[in-house]
Amino acid sequence: MSATTSPPAGATPRYIGQAVARKEDPRLLTGQGEYVDDLSLQGMLHVAFARSPHASALIRSIDASAAKELEGVRAVLTGADLNGDAHEMKSSYEVLIGSVGPVLEPLASARVKYVGDPVVMVIAESRAIAEDAIELLEIEYDPQTPVIGYETSLANETLVHPEMKTNLASVLTSEPDPALDRAFANAVHIVQETIRQHRYINVPMETRGLIASWHSGRGEMTFYSATQLPNEFRTFTTRLLAIPENKIRVIARDVGGGFGQKAFVGREEAAVLLAAKRIGRPLKWIEDRWENLVSANHAREELVHVRIAFDADYRITAVFCDHEEDIGALPASGTSLTTGQMVGMMFPGPYKIPHAGYSTKMIWTNTCGRLPYRGPWMMETVAREIMIDIAARRLGIDALELRRRNTITEADMPYTSATGMSYDRLSIDRTLEKVAAGIDFEAFRIEQGEARAAGRLIGIGLSHLVEPTAAAGGSFGIEVANIRMQPSGYVDVYVGTGNHGQGTETTMAQIVADTLGIEYEKVFVHDGDTDMVPFGGGSGASRTAVLAGAACHAAGAELRGKIVQLAAHYLEAAPEDLEINSGKISVRGTPTHFLEMTEVAFKAYNDSPSLPPGMSPGLEATARHAADGITFANATHACIVEVDPKTYRVKVLRYLVSSDCGVVINPAVVEGQIAGGVIQGIGGVLFEHFAYDENGNPLTTTFMDYLLPTAADVPTIEYAHLETPAKGPGGYKGVGEGGAIASPPAIVNAVADALGMDLPSQPLSPSLLFAMVNRAPTS
Amino acid sequence: MKCAPFRVELPSTVDEVVAALVEHGEDAKILAGGQSLIPMLAMRLARFDVLIDVHHVDGLASIQLDQNTIRIGSRVRQSEIERSDVIKRHLPVLAEATALIGHFQIRNRGTIGGSLVHADPAAEYPAVALALGATFEVTGPAGTRVIPAADFFLGYWTTALTDDEVLVAIHFPIPEGKRVGMTVKEVARRHGDFALAGAVASIGLDPSGAIVETAIALFSAADQPLRLTEMEAALTGHSPDSLDIPALSAAAAAGLAPGDDLHGSADFRRHLFRHLIADVAAEAITRAQEATNV
Ligand SMILES: Cc1cc2nc3c(=O)[nH]c(=O)nc-3n(C[C@H](O)[C@H](O)[C@H](O)COP(=O)(O)OP(=O)(O)OC[C@H]3O[C@@H](n4cnc5c(N)ncnc54)[C@H](O)[C@@H]3O)c2cc1C
Repeated sequence: MSATTSPPAGATPRYIGQAVARKEDPRLLTGQGEYVDDLSLQGMLHVAFARSPHASALIRSIDASAAKELEGVRAVLTGADLNGDAHEMKSSYEVLIGSVGPVLEPLASARVKYVGDPVVMVIAESRAIAEDAIELLEIEYDPQTPVIGYETSLANETLVHPEMKTNLASVLTSEPDPALDRAFANAVHIVQETIRQHRYINVPMETRGLIASWHSGRGEMTFYSATQLPNEFRTFTTRLLAIPENKIRVIARDVGGGFGQKAFVGREEAAVLLAAKRIGRPLKWIEDRWENLVSANHAREELVHVRIAFDADYRITAVFCDHEEDIGALPASGTSLTTGQMVGMMFPGPYKIPHAGYSTKMIWTNTCGRLPYRGPWMMETVAREIMIDIAARRLGIDALELRRRNTITEADMPYTSATGMSYDRLSIDRTLEKVAAGIDFEAFRIEQGEARAAGRLIGIGLSHLVEPTAAAGGSFGIEVANIRMQPSGYVDVYVGTGNHGQGTETTMAQIVADTLGIEYEKVFVHDGDTDMVPFGGGSGASRTAVLAGAACHAAGAELRGKIVQLAAHYLEAAPEDLEINSGKISVRGTPTHFLEMTEVAFKAYNDSPSLPPGMSPGLEATARHAADGITFANATHACIVEVDPKTYRVKVLRYLVSSDCGVVINPAVVEGQIAGGVIQGIGGVLFEHFAYDENGNPLTTTFMDYLLPTAADVPTIEYAHLETPAKGPGGYKGVGEGGAIASPPAIVNAVADALGMDLPSQPLSPSLLFAMVNRAPTS
Repeated sequence: MKCAPFRVELPSTVDEVVAALVEHGEDAKILAGGQSLIPMLAMRLARFDVLIDVHHVDGLASIQLDQNTIRIGSRVRQSEIERSDVIKRHLPVLAEATALIGHFQIRNRGTIGGSLVHADPAAEYPAVALALGATFEVTGPAGTRVIPAADFFLGYWTTALTDDEVLVAIHFPIPEGKRVGMTVKEVARRHGDFALAGAVASIGLDPSGAIVETAIALFSAADQPLRLTEMEAALTGHSPDSLDIPALSAAAAAGLAPGDDLHGSADFRRHLFRHLIADVAAEAITRAQEATNV
């Protein structure tokens, strides 16, 4: 299929590009969504976990006798009881790229490695009783000195995993490059700084959870899961339980967000599956907020030592990105290697940089493990964009001008970055100019001067990114669509995605409706039930529009071809003379001579003698689309903030995003994706911080201390879309993660501009800002 | 995060509440709005076998205006205080303080008595009660006694109330016919959060405009609400124009030893107090000057 903004063959796009009402909204907005905790099975029991109170300790003994005696308790299982049932605890990603670190066990058996590590599983008639029983457990620990703080843990003799003999999980460095060294040697200016970000986390509204039900007669495991990747959860379970994949059914009804957290089967979830099979009663585990905060996953605690070389005209001649990240004790199976490399490869981002090098280290500590969080490699944009502003300040050049001078332009396309990323059909210079105009930089500088004179601190920040979308490998690089027009003329679309808030039911229906030439109201998209949908990667990595969208185009085109052929047969016309509009198939130019699509559908299933010779009955098509490399997208963010000089509270006054995600399927969905990400950035920079004390005790275990941004902290976000179609089917690019990637540096840069000082570390909480301002004299 | 099992008793008189407290001793706790107690039970930071629910107890839920006091029943909801015409007219600072407590959903359940007995050092009401010289009407097995606010708060979540006593009402003196200005201000991380630093001031002027009475109380400054007696003394007896309030506030703030945590270092809190103390003092003076009820 060619690169085009219009749907295929004939029909005019009626739905693509429109903010049609979301199909999922009536149920979600009226409280009728069905999340794990809304479901209940006959005979179901409830699970709670006893978790480690120590960051590092040996488990000496567990006495569960009193807990087992409590009325209503059905089973108490330790690692010794349960772990042997687990055949293999590996994600498909880990199978693909190999393992780093120790083999995961469902329950910690000998050693606990972070506060929150699950140790004992209690199964009872209610969650409250299970929690009562936990209080009766006697677990004797032998506390060990924990490894806390990734910046010092490599020099630490104490080990997170003694058997690994090091706290360095992985290290990757770009090839030695003499040209890079020469560029630094010949630089007119070199700016260097260490940019740090702090631990902040996914916090989906629905926590992790599942209901697992084992049918021993059929040998079947059915589980309702809050998952982003239903099929991956099924494949994982086949390895875990060593039963045929066919005997496993994963059902995700509505899922309340994930942002990467629900892309890997957690150890607790594995324990529930194992126990459900053993006990033979349905088991529900729904994580409470404390558990979700301390043990679901963490992210973003990392730094980059950045070096940038400039020539006399402030053109960047070389960069080096030296990255280190805290991955906690037990990070997601498989991902600890690859995201660090992505940080290095994406570091040049939107700028024309002839030479680039990187190094990345992933480091274990006795804290909750790292998992992907919306834009898992986003430190490249955070470090680079904060650094561009620091360089501008130090070199005495305007930050917008510095970006303009170095930005890759449309004339440069196609462009291959110094790290080998091939960009095409990007509008990097245009989003920058859109934002510069929309926020009116020049006018702002005047306003800022006046405000300063009046004792007000306002500042502006920019952030510029190239977003690798649909970039992940493995099953994440492939998606499927199976489209069936039923005898009634209604259409079912089965995709392998795991919609958890992205509006997939809407956007895929828009594509299929346009591709087939029928009404949006007649198209229903299904995902999230492995008995219903073919194998597909799921939802994550900004992949759905690009890959599921392409699969929908391909399957839709095939099905449309068959419908047209069939109609041509009945209308006694040539297929190429037919057109479809609003569910009517007619000969072009004679709109009165038509067939209703419903008639064709009915005959396809009910009247096989009438079919053309050789044509199979029914109307169904399936297509799988494999990613053709990475689909890059680009965006520029601008933000204006005010810092209160008394309270050091930061208020975001304006936020403008110009994003080019190729063809926009649904502007409301695209804006929702961007807004959600931007709000996570506002939260991350100004409010959210998952903190530990020096002994590895978590300090922010409720929403009283882990502060999420509220509606009052978020401005109206403004948008200025550009649409430069990608070369793939439909012309779509992903847009799921860019909002969360580009917003943190835009906010940091705005605050730094307001204060007139470098801000290389976060969060920018009032207390920390106060400390930074009063430590460093302002320039 | 589920509560351990407990039983609920529903007494209908203050005497029955006291009897239940006597009977169950430290296994029992009074349940008012539940906004502090229930989260502690759910997180299993506390455990009680019996909760004595005071929602059906007569006489705890009214706001009464006497000549020189407002008597507020301990079970009066925070949201009722916020909306009460009597309070808005005679003690507006209490309504202002209420609006700073959490979010409206919390104020719809939370009670004034629960907040005062819970005695969180970051809470608004205890500091307001201290600044305004409120008194606490408390009933126990030996009958009813009255505890002045200055004697009521003893430390983190600790009051002079004994295990077998119930807080029945709080009496706030009202400055009828006096030229008094009152105000409250705080700084929190987000709207609705507990204050990082907060201050209440009540300042009275004589007909010549000189300060004749001063009360400044802080919250989130120590383990309990704190009166700034030195600064109060420095203000009283002087005409506002002759005072360097920012300097006095800076001196008062410098002497504080507030908590030091993730949300606010002690230095930062002192910085906030310096501004807050100056701001509440200045505003209370302005309000007193504008007061028409001379
Ligand atoms: C998200 C959130 C934010 C909050 N923010 C703030 C804030 O900014 N500022 C603030 O001040 N508070 C805040 N609170 C706490 C809130 O004000 C509580 O309502 C209040 O502290 C307790 O009142 P209650 O009626 O709910 O009491 P309960 O929770 O029912 O009881 C609290 C304590 O008081 C005792 N008690 C209650 N009534 C009596 C009585 N009559 N006699 C003797 N003992 C009694 C109980 O036994 C218990 O020990 C917040 C709460 C939440 C959940």
